This record gives sequence, structure tokens and C-alpha cells, in this order.
Amino acid sequence: MTTFDIVLGSFLVSALRSATPLVFVLVGETLVQRTGSINLGVEGQMLVGAMAGYGAAALWGDPWLGLVAGAVAGMLLSSVHGLLTLAARANQFASGLAVWMLGFGLSAYYGAGLVGRKIEGFGTWRGAGPDSVPVLGPIVAGMTPTVLLALVVAPAVAWWFWRTRTGLVWRAVGESPEAARAAGLRPIRVRLQAILLGGLLSGLGGAALSVDHTRTWAEGMTAGRGLVAVGLVIVARWNPWWVLPTALLFGGAEALALRLQTADAGVSAHLLLTLPYITSLAVLTLTCLRDRGQAAPAGLRAVMDR
Amino acid sequence: MKLHRLVRPLLAAALALGAHAAHSQTIGYIYVGPEKDYGYNTSHDLGRQYVEKTVSGTKTLHVENIPETAEVSRVMERMIKSGASIVFATSYGYLDYAIELGKKYPKVAFMHAGGLKTGDNVGTYWANSDDAIYLAGMAAGSVTKSGKLGFIAAFPIPQVVRSINAFTLGAQAMNPKVTTTVVWTGGWLEPAKEAEATNSLVDAGIDVIGEQVDSPITIAQTAEKRGIFVVGKDVDVSKFAPKSVLTGASWNWGPTMVKVVNEIKAGTWKPSHIRGDLKDGTVVLDPFGPAVTEPVRKTILAKKADILADKFEVWSGPMTAQDGKELLPAGKAMPMDMLESMGFFVKGVIGTIK
Repeated sequence: MTTFDIVLGSFLVSALRSATPLVFVLVGETLVQRTGSINLGVEGQMLVGAMAGYGAAALWGDPWLGLVAGAVAGMLLSSVHGLLTLAARANQFASGLAVWMLGFGLSAYYGAGLVGRKIEGFGTWRGAGPDSVPVLGPIVAGMTPTVLLALVVAPAVAWWFWRTRTGLVWRAVGESPEAARAAGLRPIRVRLQAILLGGLLSGLGGAALSVDHTRTWAEGMTAGRGLVAVGLVIVARWNPWWVLPTALLFGGAEALALRLQTADAGVSAHLLLTLPYITSLAVLTLTCLRDRGQAAPAGLRAVMDR
Repeated sequence: MKLHRLVRPLLAAALALGAHAAHSQTIGYIYVGPEKDYGYNTSHDLGRQYVEKTVSGTKTLHVENIPETAEVSRVMERMIKSGASIVFATSYGYLDYAIELGKKYPKVAFMHAGGLKTGDNVGTYWANSDDAIYLAGMAAGSVTKSGKLGFIAAFPIPQVVRSINAFTLGAQAMNPKVTTTVVWTGGWLEPAKEAEATNSLVDAGIDVIGEQVDSPITIAQTAEKRGIFVVGKDVDVSKFAPKSVLTGASWNWGPTMVKVVNEIKAGTWKPSHIRGDLKDGTVVLDPFGPAVTEPVRKTILAKKADILADKFEVWSGPMTAQDGKELLPAGKAMPMDMLESMGFFVKGVIGTIK
């Protein structure tokens, strides 16, 4: 195995690792926006998921239970957004911000006792058999279950969304809730389902960050990743198929910014650290030039313009 | 991130108001981050607990997560109204607000961490970690097998650049060929990037990592997972990564704070710049981890004794810059302004400042 294989392989694996929490969050928020609403509370849901996941993993010693607990916590918090916007008809942006603050406060309060707790994380296959295969070897060896889960979840959701009848219903609600209602569908119920699923996935993303990727709980540890996901939905053109490449683009740029520093590239670190945002902006600009902003579901445009 | 920083202080201040000043002396503490970050803010909170335990009849208030904005004035003012007669403003950006409020409340004493200005009732305290980091770097230089060290840091400011240089110089004292690869994360608290930076460094063949971010905890735990070593800072986190932590440079603010509080109580306090270091115990070299062998421990402790006896000075020549130019000739001590505004790396450091 050549050095190049190792370098390329370990870069790809670090891109995947950096992208993984984002994949879950991005899938969830894409579905939320595809059904015609927007949830800025994902940052808070991620934090609650990260905290609850870490707590469960610390308490029961099982990282899988941590992931489950994180997903449930994210879903519970998103139900607040669902109730506020769908039942109480609250402004979506205000409700999203409220959920974000609530998630931050709750996770900080209940997470205070978790700082510095040790947890059993998932192992990797490093040092086992696959290590010796070129390029692919180090990738497989450095992977953890959440990375594999992300690689499965994103295409599975995309397939479901475009190829099944319920997927069609969700799309119809996002394009025109009035037409969907006339066709006998229940837009409110679909939106609630999407918000809850989005909450579950963002909680899972948060738990992947704390339980697997960093094995740390720190207050505010998501550092804006949830909000980044809300924006990346646009880069992914509201299309679940594009979630994986978009998250990889962002995660890859972030990993590259760190790796170029370890490789002594001689480029200013200030510039390198803007790399994820520059690449995302560039892709966004290119795709927007092509479709002139028509990629957003019509129902969501109504939310934005209202 | 902005809004919660407005909401939570309000809640905390409401709590502070509820706790009336039944004790003879109330002291307020304000932190820029979480009190339980196992880093910079925890080190100050340990100081607060020490004060409360050591000085009888003292009650402390503390509020965490206060940004370096006008919000800190409001929090300090509320603390004063709930009876605080001493306020410890523990973040660098709090200085101007402390000086401003000092004029408004001449009977209250303010202590600021790291500031370069004082007022009639505003003093500052800080401590120099360079010596301890140099000693910790010696441990790193003796443990590394690849001769390649890493350093994960938040921002290229002089205090951090000094740590990177001191770490590298210490390591080179044990193994002259050692290099230190620097990775900037662009934030004091970025656990995801800290974990990934650690992984990147390990993949590049680096086997000991130093750090200066909010808390060493994520880096230490990732290093433990990857089977390499770390040198900590601010708070000893060896119990979370028992195999990986070699040693570290921790703060011990308690005694300094107690001294100031007692002086204020006795009426003998004069605002000044209090500066501690390894010698007076404000900075501590953490206990050695199992990877540091007995002969190495002896060498490091001998060097520590030299520092304490003023026989050795970290910032003295000969010293060569990253690009090979001479910084200091042999035997010359580094001038104060060069030290305080350090914007260069020494030879062996790989990375950029600008």
C-alpha cells in the first residue's frame, strides 16, 4: 500500500466522519422544508440529542442506546415546534428560534453533570483485516457504525421520497397544501410527521457527534452545525439525493482545511477555515444560476414570501 | 448563539438577586463560557470554590456564559445590587466594562483576568504558563517516537503563539530534531474540529499533541482512543485519558484570589497588575502520566528546579526563527515587548500565524 493510498484513504474517512452528523440533520431538514415548513430549531434539537445521547451512553454503557436516546430527545423537542406552528399557528421563524434557545438551555442544564464523563464509544476496524486493501482499506478501517448508518439513511430516504406513494404525498403537500387538501390529504398531519422525523434525525445527528465522533459532551458543542444544515438544504436543492454529496462537500472541505494544515501547505489558516463556506457558496451560486431559484418547493416559497 | 447569551444571563441574574447578602462579604464571578468546561472557566470556578472555602464569612455569586459585550456591565451591576463588594471579571474582553463600572461604583473592587489597564478600584491578575508548558514540552519530546509533535490551538494570538514556541523549545531540549505541526481550529470551543484535527495529526504520523483551546478534554479523549499522547492546559484532565496524558500546565487561581480578597477586607489593597507563574504556584505542572519514564521525570524536575532558582530562562538565546534567522544571540534574554507581542514561530514549528 502506497503513501498516496493512505493519505487519500484517511482524507476520505475524515471527510465522511466530519459529514456524518450533518447528513442526518440535513436529511431531516430537507424533508421538513419539502413539506412546506422550515425549522430553525434544528441547532437546539442537535444539542439536546447530543446531550441525551451522551447521557444515555454514559448511564447504560451502550453507544447504541445513546443514539436511540439522542434521536428520541431530538424528536420530543421538535414536537414543541410542531405544536407551536401547526396547532397554535405561531410564526415558524420565531418558533424555530424559541426551540433553538430551549434546546440550548435544556442541554446545558441537564448536561452540566455530564462534562468529563467517560463513555464507551463504538470501535473501528483499524488494525483488523481490511487495513491492507489499497485506498478502500483505510476508509473501511476508520469507519464507525454512524458513518455507515448515514451512508444508508440518506439514499434510503431519497428512494422513499421519490419512489413511494407516501413520498409523493409529502411532495404534494410541499408543493401545494391547498391542492393536497382538495385531494383528500391532510397537510397538517404530514407537516407534523416531517417535523417529528426531522427532529428525530437531528437528534440522531447530535448523538453521532457526541457519542461517536468526539466522545465528548460540551455545552454548545454543535457550534452552529444545525444552522449550517438549514442553509445546506438550499445547496442540496431540496433534494434528498443531493444530501450526501452536499454534506460530503462541506465535511470534506472542513476536513481538508485541517489536513492541509497538518501537511504544511503554507496557506493562511484563516483562509483555510473559510473553505467549507466558500465551497458551499460557490456550489449554491452555480446551481442558482442554472435553475433561477425554482428548486424550492412552491409551498415553502409561500412561507418565505409571506 | 447570540440570543441565548441574552436570555440566560437574565435568568442567572434573577437567581443572583434572590440570594440576598446575609454574609459579611459577597463576591461575584463572571465567566465567558460554561463553568464546567474542564478548561479555562473551570479553572476560575475552582478558584472561586477555594475562596468560598478558605475565607470565612464569604459568599460567592457566579454567572456563566456572558459574552464580552455590554451584557457584562448589566450582569456586574446586578451583582453589585445584590450585595457584591468584589467582582472577578474573568475574561479578557471584560476589561473596559470593569473600568467603566469601577468609576460608577467606587466602593466596589474589581479584579480582571489578564488586563493591561488598572483603575482606582480595578486591579488585574494573570499568570505566565510558559515555564510549565516548556517542561511539559520536555515530556512530549522524550516520549515521541516519530519526532513529530502536533499542537491544536484556537487563534493565533500572542499568548497562544508563546505556548506553541515554549512547547517546541522544551521538546527540542530533549530531542533537537523534533518538529511541531500547528493546526488552528478558529474557535475556543469546537469539539468536532478538535477531534478531527487530532485524527488528522495522528494520520500524519504525529504521536504527541499539545493544545490551547477552551478545554483539553476532547483532544485528550480522542488521543486516548487513537493510542497517542497529549499535554494538557488549564485543568488536569488525566482522569479522562489516563494513558494519554503525559502532564500539563494547569492554573491554580485560588491562593491569588484569597490573597486579594483578604487584602480588600483588611483595607490594604491597592489596585495593581498581579502576575503569577510557576514559581509562586499560580501555574502548576500536572502529575506525570505512566508514559513518562523515571529518568525523564528526573530531568524535567531538575529543569523545573533550575527555573525556580532563576538558573534557567525559557525566553533566552540562542533562539532561531522558523525560517532559520537568528532571533536572539546566545545568552541574551528576550525583551519584554518581543515576548508580549510574540508573532513568530521558532525553528521546528510547522505552520502559519497569518
